[in-house]
Amino acid sequence: MSVQTARRPLDILVVDDNPGDIRLTAEALKDEEPQNSLHTARDGVEAINFLRRTGRYGDAPRPDLILLDLDMPRMGGLQVLAEIKRDKALKDIPVVILTGSHEIEDVVKTYNLHANCYITKPIELDQFTKMVKSVTNFWLTIVNCQRRTAN
Amino acid sequence: MSQVLETNQVEAKPAAVEYESRQSRELFRALFYRSPIGTYIVQNGQFRLVNRQLAHTLGYEEEELIGRPSLASVLTEDRDLVRENAIRMLKGECSLGYEFRVVTKQAKIRWVMETVAPILYRRKRATLGSLVDVTDRKLVEERLRQSALEIQRSNAELEQFAYVISHDLQEPLRMVASYTQLLAKRYGNKLDADADEFISYAVDGAKRMQTLLHELLEYSRVGTRGKPFSLVNCEHVVNQALANLKIALEESGATVTYDVLPTVLGDEGQLVRLFQNLLGNAIKFRREEPPQIMIRAQRRQHVVTFYVQDNGIGIDPEHIQSIFEIFRRLHTAEEYPGTGMGLAICKKIVERHGGHISVQSRPGEGSTFQFAISMAGGESG
Repeated sequence: MSVQTARRPLDILVVDDNPGDIRLTAEALKDEEPQNSLHTARDGVEAINFLRRTGRYGDAPRPDLILLDLDMPRMGGLQVLAEIKRDKALKDIPVVILTGSHEIEDVVKTYNLHANCYITKPIELDQFTKMVKSVTNFWLTIVNCQRRTAN
Repeated sequence: MSQVLETNQVEAKPAAVEYESRQSRELFRALFYRSPIGTYIVQNGQFRLVNRQLAHTLGYEEEELIGRPSLASVLTEDRDLVRENAIRMLKGECSLGYEFRVVTKQAKIRWVMETVAPILYRRKRATLGSLVDVTDRKLVEERLRQSALEIQRSNAELEQFAYVISHDLQEPLRMVASYTQLLAKRYGNKLDADADEFISYAVDGAKRMQTLLHELLEYSRVGTRGKPFSLVNCEHVVNQALANLKIALEESGATVTYDVLPTVLGDEGQLVRLFQNLLGNAIKFRREEPPQIMIRAQRRQHVVTFYVQDNGIGIDPEHIQSIFEIFRRLHTAEEYPGTGMGLAICKKIVERHGGHISVQSRPGEGSTFQFAISMAGGESG
């Protein structure tokens, strides 16, 4: 696809307390061209620091896409989501909720907080890989984001 | 009673009448004083006449009670209630005894039930009361109530436990499954045949456990995530279940017939699941010939009994009792795939709806599952 090959490398922030999931996401995206930069935060507090470039995240790029887990220590995904969507400087970054939870209440809560989409982590590796690829592809190349158009 | 009255009677009445009169006085004495029910007359708020049983219940001697305010023995918090109930009963507004607590002379609290009636005593208005000690029954009731609460609490805890377990174990298991699959994918053909086999068992085991956890989660959700009951048209329910089973129905060439099905009070999603599991089993456990399934409903007063009848392989009588248990399977995965949770979920759904599920079967001829659902709904917290 010409759109895909023409795009610049993108910054994706994965917020997840499980290193296994972060690695799976990285594995799923590692063959993509051009190579995207994957950044990680292990809980909500780190994610917010990354996004606001505080502490050791002074040079952090502004991510093009955030993959956010819900169940994390210190600050959970719902709180991070609320924080992002309240912040004028951050709220246009697409946030994809990527979680192990099938709970319908969680789905409702995240959409009420303006999550861009909610995905339950698939059990099958192939499905997981496909899911990560199509989600990133969808939000980074197909959707005409306000920010990219503005750039 | 009055000496004067008795002498008058002797003078005025012939012997037969006097005999009758003495007879009835003796009968009254026997009834009143030996009655196993506390009996008394209250006038102007005070005991005027009491029997031994009342004195015994209140812990006094009979003579100690005479002249004592009748409300004095009633537990302070219960006095208003006693007054109100006594007035209503004296007016004839109610006839059932009321219960309250009394304090005995020994400062013990006892539960009693009282009835009162208006009478004339020495030509003045008075109240005739009877009172029974119901402390033992109250204690039993309280103990029953406590154990019912305890059972409810432990059931809820168990459900929560099953829920947490099945929910929280999914995450680490997903890791095991994903990484064994990744291993297989990346190194599958770089190792020897043994390694491939080991990996495939690991992947298979993880996948199976995921299915089990998923089913266990669904099982626990029947209790913890059920919807409030509403009126549900069972024909819609069956149609929905059939739509969900479309592929299996087509592949097996099954015919499903059902007559007019009633509307019941229940959780629609769960009832769909119930029919879907039963119909799914009827299709799965079929013989060579295409499955023929019949659904009937029979209404008797407030209970509807449903029958789901098939012409499948049937169930061995010795397994009939156990098939509704969690993870109970009668066949290997090669013969018939499944987790053994389907009927356990059915049972839980039926029980949440205040009903009972059972099965009748002849091996080689078919099975009929039947379950009753109360039209008024079961649901008890």
